Amino acid sequence: MDIITQLAFSINNQLLTDISLLINNELIFIGILAIAVLLGERRFPKIMKIISVIVFAVIIGICLKSILIIERPCAELDLVHCPEDPSFPSLHALAAFSLMIAFLNKRSFVLYMFFAIFIAFTRLVLAVHGFTDIAASLAVAMIVYYIVDRIWVRYYGE
Amino acid sequence: MENRRQIVHILIGLTTIAFLFLFGRGVAIASIFITILLGLIIINQLYLGRRTPVIEWIINNFERKNVHFPGWGSACYATGVLLLCCFLTDINTIAACILIIALGDGLATIIGKMGRISIPYNKNKKIEGSVALFISSLAGYIYVGPLIFPAALVATIVESLPMDIDDNISLPIALIIFFMVV
Repeated sequence: MDIITQLAFSINNQLLTDISLLINNELIFIGILAIAVLLGERRFPKIMKIISVIVFAVIIGICLKSILIIERPCAELDLVHCPEDPSFPSLHALAAFSLMIAFLNKRSFVLYMFFAIFIAFTRLVLAVHGFTDIAASLAVAMIVYYIVDRIWVRYYGE
Repeated sequence: MENRRQIVHILIGLTTIAFLFLFGRGVAIASIFITILLGLIIINQLYLGRRTPVIEWIINNFERKNVHFPGWGSACYATGVLLLCCFLTDINTIAACILIIALGDGLATIIGKMGRISIPYNKNKKIEGSVALFISSLAGYIYVGPLIFPAALVATIVESLPMDIDDNISLPIALIIFFMVV
């Protein structure tokens, strides 16, 4: 476990742990993402583009997980909430960073950045991911957004 | 201006390699991660039309015209390096890859601009540039030994392809796949 993950995991705050466990639930997280998308964007084509970016990013993330098969930090600690699938990269962080990048040209970008950093932080708090998983998610999200944006512009225009 | 941009590109790459060996992979990942987030805030401010004199000067002197968005080149470069640091675990392999992206790609652009013979399948790129990329990438021998020859060849082929993807993204992806397979 790297130092940043150790530091985050060592924070002993019940409220933070409870929120992190709540976000750890995929359905609740998808709901939070949906609300975040709808709060920031009202135009239907743009909403579809953001959803495409997130879905494509998650698919790439799942492929990477199944190819690389890296054990989660929590597996060593034998924690109850530890998911069974591989660690690298973090799908939660990947989706949150993809959403953040989609708002790069908006005033609300900084809010989405804090949202994405908080989501990433909750993954470290639970030790379900290491910091490398989170950093890789940012890089993958940047590339996925770039690719989807190129395809989108080609077929649907600016 | 393009030469100046490429010299900065090379220097940043070499500084990153030095940083990597001085502080290790973990600190490098954290630093690049924070740099990208700060860079995205700057790009967001540029989008919103808020320009500071320092950022204005950097954009005017080092950013290409007609880019995807302001600061796009730098964002791609940092993303490529972060990708390498996260996906590859051996510090020497990462250093060799950064060297290819920084020195190889940088010199390929500088020399390619002066080149005369176009690559048959990509009229926008010159054979002289590809040769410069291959030869300069061989400096990575000090990090990975003979493995640099096929790696440099992979980088040269990928860089020469007529793809609509930034070299700073396509090269790291190709090199990660190469080193993972090898």
